[in-house]
Amino acid sequence: MQIFKKIKLFFFRELKLFYSKITDLFSNILFFFLSIFVFVFALGAEKALMQTIGVGIIWALLLLSSTLSIRRIYEDDFKNGSLIIMHMGGLSYELIAFLKIISHFIFVQIPFLISIPIAGLFFNININEIIVLIITFAIGSLILSCLGSISASMNLLNKTNFSIGSLIILLFSIPVIIFSVGIINSNNDFTSLLNLLFGIALIFVGISPWSSASCIKLAIKNK
Amino acid sequence: MLLANNLSFSRNKVNIFNDISLSIGRGQIKQIKGKNGSGKTTFLKTILNILLPENGEVFWEGKNIKKNIFNFYKEITLIMDEPSSTKSLTLINNINFWKGFSDSTITDNEVLLLLQAFKLEKYIHTQVMYLSSGEVKKLELLRLIIEQKKIWILDEPYNHLDEGSIEILNQTFVDHIKKNGIILFASHFEPIITNLEIINFK
Amino acid sequence: MLKFLINPSKFIKFSDLVFKPLVIFTLLVFIIGLFYVYKSPLDYQQGLTVKIMYVHVPSAYLAILIYAIMTIYSIIGLAFKMPFSFIINKAIAPIGAVFTLSCLISGSMWGKPMWGTWWVWDARLTSVAILFVVYLIIIFLYQTFENREVREKTVAIFILIGSINLPIIKFSVDWWNTLHQPASISKLSSPSIDISMLKPLLIMILAFSLIAVIIAILRIKAEILIRKSHL
Repeated sequence: MQIFKKIKLFFFRELKLFYSKITDLFSNILFFFLSIFVFVFALGAEKALMQTIGVGIIWALLLLSSTLSIRRIYEDDFKNGSLIIMHMGGLSYELIAFLKIISHFIFVQIPFLISIPIAGLFFNININEIIVLIITFAIGSLILSCLGSISASMNLLNKTNFSIGSLIILLFSIPVIIFSVGIINSNNDFTSLLNLLFGIALIFVGISPWSSASCIKLAIKNK
Repeated sequence: MLLANNLSFSRNKVNIFNDISLSIGRGQIKQIKGKNGSGKTTFLKTILNILLPENGEVFWEGKNIKKNIFNFYKEITLIMDEPSSTKSLTLINNINFWKGFSDSTITDNEVLLLLQAFKLEKYIHTQVMYLSSGEVKKLELLRLIIEQKKIWILDEPYNHLDEGSIEILNQTFVDHIKKNGIILFASHFEPIITNLEIINFK
Repeated sequence: MLKFLINPSKFIKFSDLVFKPLVIFTLLVFIIGLFYVYKSPLDYQQGLTVKIMYVHVPSAYLAILIYAIMTIYSIIGLAFKMPFSFIINKAIAPIGAVFTLSCLISGSMWGKPMWGTWWVWDARLTSVAILFVVYLIIIFLYQTFENREVREKTVAIFILIGSINLPIIKFSVDWWNTLHQPASISKLSSPSIDISMLKPLLIMILAFSLIAVIIAILRIKAEILIRKSHL
């Protein structure tokens, strides 16, 4: 099964790339914590207030800071032609996009999960809410990876307006944040909302490889 | 045998090349020669179906390549103008990536010998971004041997090379032809290789 | 007969034919509409501010209708590879944006005296604000990509995804508890609005739609001519 060998190789390469750019990840996480501090300074460190708005702020800032790295999912591999090499090695662009989404999810979004409990400490959020926060972010960040894949592949095509990709990510993350915060705020019965969020994630996992692949194909044609 | 029939291509309704046919049998080397902007790179991409031609078809061993594009890609090493090495990976990681994706059976020892021949062995655990542009180009040309493919398609392989490396490259070409390989490259520079056929682009 | 909707040259012929009568008819309808609005009774609670409705409702209706048309043309353009549908999309997107803005502004002008605030974060208002953002992103996207085909396809896909917002806008007043009142005009049940107010409202909706059609014809024609002269 050569294709599995190649997928393994792909992830091995992503791991190496992740390792060589690990400072990038650390600075993203640092961005997350610094922006929490900025919020606390701006609002005043009142304990009751922090507890009520903490979850929402954490979610919004996680979203913003995990989109920082998104622009570069495809950029390097596109510029040096590694995408063509992978394609000529037998992987279709759809599969490449799917693998890129999964590896972005594993190597960029999952490390953010570790920072959630620490951020929760700053806002005095109780342990149950933190667990729910981690679960929702684990699913929500998969959606963010998919959106990121779409917007990063669109960025390959455009040469003038780079912030439009971030605009699109923010726009489509509105439903994600609505459902996620809804899950956290509904005290007991959150399984139905969680299923809904999971469903949205699956839809995006289904759609985004195709749309990213079509953007990549067009970008390679116009390179 | 690689056969291209009456290929034509236009971009934004501007005709780039028209009705170009080409056939390369085993053990043949051909060069596409032309000025900048004459459509050399576009032609190479059209043969590989990275760009779809407006008219015409490409056949590999009698079969239209569109039928099973991956069977065709299995035989090809494509070297573009820009080096395809990943800058933040080390040299050996890059080589392993190329090796794995081309199903090459080259052993680690052979790779090491190759690197020694090109005087790159001391950089084996260095990230590619610390190499000079000539060394990166040499590494790129190593792909030809590492990937062990039949068809070599190259775009401007002589850029950034010093005279010694040009000779080595010419020698590699000759060796590949002797092994019944197929070479097609685009360059404005005309190297001294016996049996080199030149296709002129306006 | 309806070929002019998908064929550029037929569209130009058709528009040349109907344009002048259409302008006269629109002016007539608009003047009649304004007259009826002037004559329409004041609301016993809202007083004069009720007349903002005659701008607000038609703009809201057109904002959604134009987006729906764009969605349909995106499907046609993507499925049948018809470039004319992308021309129409490009031409009418700013019109939709303007009507959405007019809907938002007139709404908040009404909201200030009635609700005591320019803006509330309720479902209807927020979803319409998102519609406005979507319109703006569409307009930006048209200026982003160099390659025209790429640009048009990307925008069409974006329009399709953004159309999720339409049912949310429509049903937001039913699904969530909102400050905004539910729909007053519907065919299925008898309208919950008095006939003396309904008549001017319907005429104004017609007038606004006709104005939108006139601007759209001008813009589409300009776009066709630009493309002809370029490539």
